[in-house]
Amino acid sequence: MNLELSHTFDEASFRHFVNGHNVVLHCHHYMSLTAKLSEDFADLGGPRVLREATEDSIRPVLDSYFAEHKVAAPADRLDIGRQYFSAMGLGRMEVSGSATEGQVTLRHSHVDEGWVQKWGAHDKPINHVGCGFVAAMFAAAFDRPARSFQVTESASIVMGAPASVLAVRQA
Amino acid sequence: MTVMRDQVVKSLVQIDVKANEDGLMPGFNVLVNQLPTAFWNTVAERFMAIAPPDRKADMEKALVNCAYECGYHTGYGIVSSSEFQSVVMPMVTEGAKDVLRGAFAVFTAWGWAKSGVVQIRDGERMVIRAVDYYESDSGGSGLRAYMVRGVSAAFMELAYAAPYPNGMNTFSCEQTLGREVGDPHGEFVITKK
Repeated sequence: MNLELSHTFDEASFRHFVNGHNVVLHCHHYMSLTAKLSEDFADLGGPRVLREATEDSIRPVLDSYFAEHKVAAPADRLDIGRQYFSAMGLGRMEVSGSATEGQVTLRHSHVDEGWVQKWGAHDKPINHVGCGFVAAMFAAAFDRPARSFQVTESASIVMGAPASVLAVRQA
Repeated sequence: MTVMRDQVVKSLVQIDVKANEDGLMPGFNVLVNQLPTAFWNTVAERFMAIAPPDRKADMEKALVNCAYECGYHTGYGIVSSSEFQSVVMPMVTEGAKDVLRGAFAVFTAWGWAKSGVVQIRDGERMVIRAVDYYESDSGGSGLRAYMVRGVSAAFMELAYAAPYPNGMNTFSCEQTLGREVGDPHGEFVITKK
């Protein structure tokens, strides 16, 4: 099942929409600095906030697509999520899983590779956006509410691994 | 002839932005992403929400800085790109002022804000007006166009500060009006630090 993308440009507001959702182009500097900001405010829960903000803003994109295109099977939904991840420029993933656990491998990651390009390798995982995306993807695939899945990076491109590995567990 | 924003926007939105086989979008000397505006607004609002009163200013400064560095590096990539050279530069007749007008046309084309330069005093001061910008959708309180502020200061530096990459921290931007607080448009004043 291939992801269908419909891009429109509103001539009045000059806003871009993909499948009805307002989207915007930004760069790895913005993303890397946002990830770093979350780390700089870790004492206030910055990384968690970034993950949850990602989960909550990606979920409507997936839900509306599944409803409009009548995508019901969890495996198909995970596959559409995988394709959306790439379509947004976030990298290339492989995904497998069930309603209780799963695994995501990122062969390429915008967040990690952008960070490395900007500052070099890091000593801990920083792909909170990727984790939030995967949490949204699994929750949407299995019709679960937000925060139903805990996503943990067990290997990270930013730390020098050839691929990032995200372990998914039912929360 | 000077830079005609709407003409530039219409030319640039035709450029197809698609991820490569690795799910990445290299372009303009950076890696580009195309995320929902709701993502960036939610992130900014929640970061501001977790900051206690004595750290709100630090958080706001950090949010502006994210966009500022993005604007400086990506802005340079944009103005030196083949697209900018072919679409904008033929309209440039007023030097740095027109390059800035062109940069804000790109700013508009990328979906950051429907914006334009309303006043420039060479190398000293610039006023930007944005009649629509996605940050005005967010649900916080007060003026909160952190991204527009950061990128606007960066673009001014690309035009008037020391040549890239040595011109940072020369200008700052304050937001004086905002759609998010009921004004008819956003207004941003860039001045030398």
